[in-house]
Amino acid sequence: MRVVVTGMGVVSPIGTGTDQFWAAAVNGTSGIQRIRGFDASSQRSQIAGEITGFNPTAFLSVKYIDQTDRFTQLALLATRLALEDAGGLDAYAPQRLAVSIGSGMGGFATFESSAARKFRNQSIPPFTVPRTMANSAAAWIAIKHQLKGVNLTCSTACSSGANAIGMALDLLRTGRADAVIAGGAEACVLPLTMTGFEALHALTTGFNTDPVRASRPFAKGRDGFVMSEGAGMLILEKEEGAKQRGAKMYARLAGYGQTCDATHIVMPDMDGQVAAMLAAIQDAGMKPDSIDHINAHATSTPLGDIVETRAIKSLFGNRARDIAINATKSMIGHTVGASAAIGSIATIMALYTGTIHPTINLDEADPECDLDYTPNLAQQKQPRNGLCNAFGFGGNNASIVFTTLE
Amino acid sequence: MDTADIETKVIQFIATKVENLDASIINPSSKFEELGLDSMDTIQLLFDAEDAFGINFEGEEAKGFRCVGDIVSYIETHQVAAPLIKNEGST
Repeated sequence: MRVVVTGMGVVSPIGTGTDQFWAAAVNGTSGIQRIRGFDASSQRSQIAGEITGFNPTAFLSVKYIDQTDRFTQLALLATRLALEDAGGLDAYAPQRLAVSIGSGMGGFATFESSAARKFRNQSIPPFTVPRTMANSAAAWIAIKHQLKGVNLTCSTACSSGANAIGMALDLLRTGRADAVIAGGAEACVLPLTMTGFEALHALTTGFNTDPVRASRPFAKGRDGFVMSEGAGMLILEKEEGAKQRGAKMYARLAGYGQTCDATHIVMPDMDGQVAAMLAAIQDAGMKPDSIDHINAHATSTPLGDIVETRAIKSLFGNRARDIAINATKSMIGHTVGASAAIGSIATIMALYTGTIHPTINLDEADPECDLDYTPNLAQQKQPRNGLCNAFGFGGNNASIVFTTLE
Repeated sequence: MDTADIETKVIQFIATKVENLDASIINPSSKFEELGLDSMDTIQLLFDAEDAFGINFEGEEAKGFRCVGDIVSYIETHQVAAPLIKNEGST
């Protein structure tokens, strides 16, 4: 049974809507700026990828805004765009429509602001809990669009979005749904959350006065990831259903692999990454030789990019240098639980358009990162089988295989 | 602020918080459900009112609020010397 992508919606620091996002990505546009959402003067990392100009009142009532965290609002906008792109899912019974969403932190904007009020002995918003809970985005997507089937949320840190898409593939294959809205959403450009990542020395701190150069996967001088926010949603359907309703199809979702390092809570492990990529490729009924494009996890941390490079070399051997690799995070930063969902959209667009977007800020590569990362300029190249990687705290490794329709 | 002032301010406030609700149809005896608010909407309204009027409803007492006049009465009995309405742009 084949599963196809029939709609995409993205809200990112370089654009809202797939067209705007993709045009900016192909042009190598950075969405990283000094933080505007709060006073970041006391943060060690003072830059981020924020969705500037985001206006939830354009699509949500005041009542619904009161009841939703920013990550849910981003998810709702991305979902609306994806459903519009897919031409709606009215062809299916509501009970056959599922939602599978990933988020690493959930409604942490609400958590942080309510905690601050509580510590000042002020009342907290009555919807603090339903806004904060990780499954609130999935629930609100169901409410807004009357999707009455399976409703799941996956929280596996930075790999959440990839696992949500993988779970959606399983739902379709096992017949638990006819179509799934799957993706990820995150909105944690926030003082406490960022301080937490700073305490782990995970965030960049050396580019506060030069934000566009801060996210530099595989490059010399990288010093950590750039916190970012956004959402990405896919409409996934069984191919026969999509054909029956005359839907536009972008690509096939062909395979999914997931592993746990079971070694360290935050340090990546090459073996786990290799195993996840291989599992996804085998799940797609392929061999590693078939993969010709990788949208890398590539967060711009000193260790992470080296480990991923080694994992790719270990799995693909001499062919590793022939694979067109890129890093979406070089432009948008790290959207945590949304990152693999947005990375999936970039992977699908590479397959759909025959263009590999660049990895920006890659003037001089780290000597230990010696593959073809599509430095600085987009490449016209038609990939057939793309792999999207996502590796998260907890030792979670997830890989997804998308293929062209032929 | 006397009762009439508070009443006017509370009614204006409710009209801004509830969509498609004209202030002219709100009066002190208006029950929250008559204004289209369910129980959770009412809890949200009372929370927003705390911020707007610079007060803090005691939890158990607020549970008994049924109509607009209950908010007005509470503010009237708990108002302090400082201006009650925030965001007026005045001193």
